[in-house]
Amino acid sequence: MRLHPLTSLAVAGSTAVITTAAASWPLSLAVIAAAVGLSALGGTLRPLLPAAAAVLVPLCLSLLVLHGLFFPEGVSVLAQWGPARVTTEGLSFALQRAAQLSAAVLALLVFSFSVNVPDLVAALPAKGIQGRVAFVLASTLTLMPAAASRLQRIRQAQEARGLVIRRGLLHRMAAFRLQAVPLVSALVEEAGTRGSALDARGFGSTGPRTSYREVPDRPLERLLRTFLLLAAVVAVAARLWQAGG
Amino acid sequence: MSSPSLTLPSPAPAAARKRRVLEILGALAIAGTYIYLVLNQPADITGGPGSASALIALSGFLVGAILLVVAVLPTLPTSTMVLIPVALVLNIVLGQFVGSTLVPFYLDAIGTVLIAVLAGPAAGAATGALSSIVWSFFNPTVLPFAAGAALIGCLAGLAARYGLFRRFYLAPVAGFLTGIIGGVVSAPVAAFVFGGTSGVATGAIVSAFRSMGDTLLAAITKQALISDPMDKAIVFAAVAVLVYALPRRASLQFPFVRRHRVLAGKAPEQGS
Repeated sequence: MRLHPLTSLAVAGSTAVITTAAASWPLSLAVIAAAVGLSALGGTLRPLLPAAAAVLVPLCLSLLVLHGLFFPEGVSVLAQWGPARVTTEGLSFALQRAAQLSAAVLALLVFSFSVNVPDLVAALPAKGIQGRVAFVLASTLTLMPAAASRLQRIRQAQEARGLVIRRGLLHRMAAFRLQAVPLVSALVEEAGTRGSALDARGFGSTGPRTSYREVPDRPLERLLRTFLLLAAVVAVAARLWQAGG
Repeated sequence: MSSPSLTLPSPAPAAARKRRVLEILGALAIAGTYIYLVLNQPADITGGPGSASALIALSGFLVGAILLVVAVLPTLPTSTMVLIPVALVLNIVLGQFVGSTLVPFYLDAIGTVLIAVLAGPAAGAATGALSSIVWSFFNPTVLPFAAGAALIGCLAGLAARYGLFRRFYLAPVAGFLTGIIGGVVSAPVAAFVFGGTSGVATGAIVSAFRSMGDTLLAAITKQALISDPMDKAIVFAAVAVLVYALPRRASLQFPFVRRHRVLAGKAPEQGS
């Protein structure tokens, strides 16, 4: 059974919100396990893991160094070198934060790696503000590989003309300029052409739209989405009320 | 190509007023969240993760950023709309590369600043917020910084509007000032939502301040005051190089550039 893209977005988003609001160890670990399991079931684990590692490894390392070594509020000192003190409080704070952030990040990444982008864009209305957001999302996702391959071609062309990236800040800046200027002028030029073409096809008009692509939406899923949104709001409200009261 | 339509009715004043209200509400949500977080200095920041302040920082800044997008996006002409994806690609391609390396900079705003210089503060703010939202597709940790990115875009547009990009040496100065404001506003997000920073190099700087006994918010604000102004000065200088390298035909297609004479050089004829 294939979920409506907005349903899976609601599942991922509410999971991230509820995990942040609950801030409990077992829940964070359970969400991490469930996210990895789901993506393994869906067959997206191979592309997901490097992307998640690229985000989470620097983040968790930074948290561990920051709070593991320097936590002035910590009381029970485990080890000490000069100004650096390893404290139990610091370590547990770092580990809890890391688990909670990993859970939220993984939940959202499982969504973005499993969703079918054309379906997601088709599920958003073609008109008005949501249509414009959908345009930006779809256009960015399709433009990104094109821009990356164009940057590679520019680099090859400049290397053929004798570009060698040497050490030193000035050389690097010159190399950046030689590659970025052609890339940006080409992209802006193309955007201008695309703008006129879109205008000619009624991009800015306010009339009714038809779509070639229909994404089936079951009433049960609509109900589920409402329920998930409510659950997220309730979780946030409960946490705030608990903190205030 | 972005001239107002001669056949379609212009948007009703009621719609314009509604958008203005949304813009003000968005700015108020961001400012209010920041003031609340700094005044209250929630004591529970190190008392346990997932504290209420993380949720307040997240929801306040996100709601503000989304309100700004909703207010600004429908008003942008098509020539600006097609440039937003280009700006996002530039942000992501350059920022993804720098963000995880061992340099305490981010350089993730080149596209946002570029569009702000070409199309004005409103477009810059919308691009900054949208950039964080779309980028979170690949890296969810940038989502909470949407309000800070919107602020950077807005300030860059104002700098361009008042002629700071007409002299090459003024652009890094404007970037430096923008970085101070942007860094101070983004610091509570890093402190309350992440409990630190997302990069190793920036984390090392925060550790240094923490070892002197600073609170987490103070340490991260100081780190932001070291990294952000330099970062934005570099970004503004890079954008100045890029904008002047564009063919004049490409840069002058934007009404904002023509109307406010953003770039140095002979002023084009009005109404061209």
